[in-house]
Amino acid sequence: MRNSLRFTGVGGQGVLLAGEIMAACKIKDGGNGLKTATYTSQVRGGPTVVDITLDDNEIRYPYANEGEIDFMLSVANVSYNQFKNGVKPGGTIVVDPNLVHPTDEDRKKWIIHEIPIITIAKEEVGNVITQSVVALAITNTMTNVLSKQSLIDTMLSKVPEKVHAANKLAYELGEKYANKAMGK
Amino acid sequence: MAREEISTGNELCSMAAIDAGAMFFSGYPITPSSEVMHVASDLLPEVGGKFIQMEDEIGGICAALGASMTGVKSYTATSGPGISLKAEQIGLGFIAEIPLVIVNVMRGGPSTGLPTRVSQADIGQAQYPTHGDFASITLCAGSLTECYTQTVRAFNLAEKYMTPVFILLDETIGHMHGKAIIPDLAEVKASIVNRATFDGAPADYKPYDVPMNKPAVLNPMFKGYKYHITGLHHGHEGFPTEDAVQCEFNIERLVGKINTVAAENDGLDDLPDYEEYMLDDAEVCIIAYGSIGLGAYEAVNKLREQGIKAGMFRPILLWPSPAKRLVEIGAKFKDKIFITELNMGQYSKEIERVIKRNDFTTLLKANGRPIAPAEMVAKVKEMM
Repeated sequence: MRNSLRFTGVGGQGVLLAGEIMAACKIKDGGNGLKTATYTSQVRGGPTVVDITLDDNEIRYPYANEGEIDFMLSVANVSYNQFKNGVKPGGTIVVDPNLVHPTDEDRKKWIIHEIPIITIAKEEVGNVITQSVVALAITNTMTNVLSKQSLIDTMLSKVPEKVHAANKLAYELGEKYANKAMGK
Repeated sequence: MAREEISTGNELCSMAAIDAGAMFFSGYPITPSSEVMHVASDLLPEVGGKFIQMEDEIGGICAALGASMTGVKSYTATSGPGISLKAEQIGLGFIAEIPLVIVNVMRGGPSTGLPTRVSQADIGQAQYPTHGDFASITLCAGSLTECYTQTVRAFNLAEKYMTPVFILLDETIGHMHGKAIIPDLAEVKASIVNRATFDGAPADYKPYDVPMNKPAVLNPMFKGYKYHITGLHHGHEGFPTEDAVQCEFNIERLVGKINTVAAENDGLDDLPDYEEYMLDDAEVCIIAYGSIGLGAYEAVNKLREQGIKAGMFRPILLWPSPAKRLVEIGAKFKDKIFITELNMGQYSKEIERVIKRNDFTTLLKANGRPIAPAEMVAKVKEMM
């Protein structure tokens, strides 16, 4: 079973690290994971897309196959518009409604959830940098591709110890909002 | 025994260099190769090695060549524009026969091109990176594992043949992050090749007095042997000469020590020069290398699911090309050869030269984007 996930944003938002954590977690749990990032040569503000492929079997081609993506999360309108068509019809897209504005047609084609990821990180966690962990939690809660504990452990191994508490909180909040969005 | 690493191609490349015995890195950062340099700066001091960021690309290769002349295994890393800047000193490496590993993580060109995007546009540059006659050794990593194993191999070939060796990665392979199964350190250490040295009396030391198709025997500097290293044509002791017979011999030897030796021995060492996948019963052969081989592998699987017997040939040693096997593939697959690469056909031309045919189907791209398996599948279906 192959899971194809995509994070999109703009340079500097931390989406690369979130992808790396997911791939590493899958590998540590005995499977295969690959993360690739495509970005522009703009220093900040250029559209960034991270493709994450997870599989119990071998993966060679590291990019998502367009039209086969199960789940996408987007925190920037420019990259949302550029990369949304990779998501398969009926697939799930999570957007930050303060930054990304899906069209009515988009809402017919995909299951779109709106979660204010950046606001949660900024105001509820109190540290905007934790937005990538909020995104990570939302992604895993909605797709259920990785064991929660294993993902949290992998995440904590990649962030400095002084921000462990903030990132744990970010994960719990992401999970809570994802469940709420799905009506759970 | 093998080790499992979760890392990127660029990081694995530098880890391999240090495992292969490199103790010196000098260079200048450039996307998408900079992480090779970052890891060198982290790891070299830990093993007692030296790392230096130079003032520019030219300084980067000059210091690395100098370090190598003292007997220290050295490397530098850059991308296509950096190779252009290093071109003159790469030539010094060839003619003076200085072992050096040059990592090129390819991005879109020409000039500054597409800094953050994938390309395989430096295949021709790796064959002829500078003026004059010489033969290049160029390896191309096609997986995370090969970013490690082929870098180790590059060091061994540089020492064995006394020459600069290119290891090509591309942006995709260099930056992709995932699992790599790499050989145990003891296994790597057991495979290490060190350059030959001369142990006789200093008065008898003639580093370039070697037979046709053999590499120079250069002792490290500061060991009591006189040295004169120059980009000018030189005689047996390294001092400049314009002697017609000597100059002709020099060039024939520089080319022959690599190209003739590879042709006579079917390669430069005992390691595989290519990967084949599902070729035995295949009706169509996809030829791809580097990161494009990753998509080609999946295209073969997708085509087979649809009843088309496809196979893949993926060269690893690009220069000198695996000519013997390419000729066999040309004879077997006739007009059912499909070549796909991220440039306007730089390696297709080599295959055309070797097989002496040009009726291939190609899928070429030079816009900084990868080639998806679905694109390859569609093209192969048109051929069938």
